[in-house]
Amino acid sequence: MPAIFFEGEELDCRPGESVLDALNRHGKEIPSGCRAGVCQACVLLTDEQQVAARHQQGLSAAQRDLNYFLSCQCQPTSAIHVRRPDSGANRVRGKLVNREWLSDQVVRLQLDADMDYRPGQYITLWKDSSTARSYSLASHQTQDKWLELHVKHIPGGAISPWLCNDLKCGDELTLQGPMGSCVYSHTQDRPLLLAAIGTGLAPVLGVLKDALVNGHHGPIYLLVGAARHSGFYYQGALLRLVEEFPQVELQFLVQTWEGKACPGLIEADIYQYCRERFSDLSGYGVYLCGAPTFVQKMRKQAFMAGAAMSDIATDAFLAFGETS
Amino acid sequence: MSLFDELGGADAIDTAVDIFYRKVLADDRISHFFDTVDMEGQHTKQKAFLTMAFGGPNNYTGKDLREAHRHMNLTEEHFNAVAEDLLATLEELNVPQVKIDEVMSIVGGTKSDILNL
Ligand SMILES: Cc1cc2nc3c(=O)[nH]c(=O)nc-3n(C[C@H](O)[C@H](O)[C@H](O)COP(=O)(O)OP(=O)(O)OC[C@H]3O[C@@H](n4cnc5c(N)ncnc54)[C@H](O)[C@@H]3O)c2cc1C
Ligand code: FES
Repeated sequence: MPAIFFEGEELDCRPGESVLDALNRHGKEIPSGCRAGVCQACVLLTDEQQVAARHQQGLSAAQRDLNYFLSCQCQPTSAIHVRRPDSGANRVRGKLVNREWLSDQVVRLQLDADMDYRPGQYITLWKDSSTARSYSLASHQTQDKWLELHVKHIPGGAISPWLCNDLKCGDELTLQGPMGSCVYSHTQDRPLLLAAIGTGLAPVLGVLKDALVNGHHGPIYLLVGAARHSGFYYQGALLRLVEEFPQVELQFLVQTWEGKACPGLIEADIYQYCRERFSDLSGYGVYLCGAPTFVQKMRKQAFMAGAAMSDIATDAFLAFGETS
Repeated sequence: MSLFDELGGADAIDTAVDIFYRKVLADDRISHFFDTVDMEGQHTKQKAFLTMAFGGPNNYTGKDLREAHRHMNLTEEHFNAVAEDLLATLEELNVPQVKIDEVMSIVGGTKSDILNL
């Protein structure tokens, strides 16, 4: 059984157990969020450079050099020395400046924080020293004064009800990041397909803003899907935004029609719609954001329709404990 | 010059991997081995495989290949399917016949390791 030396203390680790799980089992309070290698809440430091190198996906170059690693991903096979990063790994304090319900399920948060980011990346928000979740950035670093997040209210959830109801304007909170690579990265003339369901609209909106700020003139197809009408938000604002930009085509797709018409809204299955409308995606830049099942299914479909793997950017909203 | 260099090295190989990966995903005989939610991870593995097959720098050893495929219960049919898809990929890329022969012989050499014979 491999031993974990946690800040000098020797603890056992069961076969197949992650460093995070082992430390938690021994009563060590190591924070975690996604447990899937995405949110970086669980970063620790180790002296074993080779171990660290295998569990550093998504970390910055500086963090990699310092031997930070994701403890939820690391299942040690031999003894390993680990410790907590004292600096609190790329965290900053921020303040809630504005909160607004965009629908009866989704809240827009605006945060004042000093952070360099690209629209479409995500950050991890900390409720207390051990609870954290990730949210994607809908704002643009040069166009918008505040960081903007769209949070779906999940009743009974550890973090979203707190963000949606309890946190008050002026309250401070800890932000970690930015992370992720779902950012505008294509040349201005390429056709782009941006597809979101639910609050996947947040990162897609970020990418759209960045494309437009960068003078993107190739066609941009923006698809926003929902199971029912109540799943949409921001429709008016989006319609106004794209009016100014003739290269953007906006389509709302609802799975189950409930008789409420809205400009740009059709009843369609988003997968079916894409198969027919975008049967050849070679040369496209593709951005897919929202629930993991949606992202995975669409990624395969887009790839099979000819999009290059390196041209498909994704932001999958893994729920706590879900592994990709 | 190896086919790897001739095609343009590590970057150009992405295109070949994309074509090859689409073919195996569409191939009912073997698609279930490749159809995973971790498409990026799968893509990376195939890139390593094609880099090796194209005579580029590779870190594979016979032992690794054996280990990686040990519990998959692969048969001759599976191996042939992959080889056929690779051949079709090379033809689609207009690779000259002599080079195709080279690649297929490298791949043929891995058969006993992959099938754990
Ligand atoms: C990279 C990344 C980016 C993300 N970006 C966003 C974003 O921009 N906006 C956003 O709203 N969320 C986003 N998420 C999801 C977010 O991090 C949380 O998972 C979500 O807010 C639920 O947290 P919670 O603490 O409220 O609920 P939890 O306490 O984690 O979960 C409570 C229960 O609800 C279930 N549950 C969790 N999520 C959902 C869901 N979406 N629908 C139905 N049931 C659910 C859980 O399985 C659990 O049973 C993102 C996630 C990742 C990994
Ligand atoms: S990255 Fe380890 S808990 Fe999220």
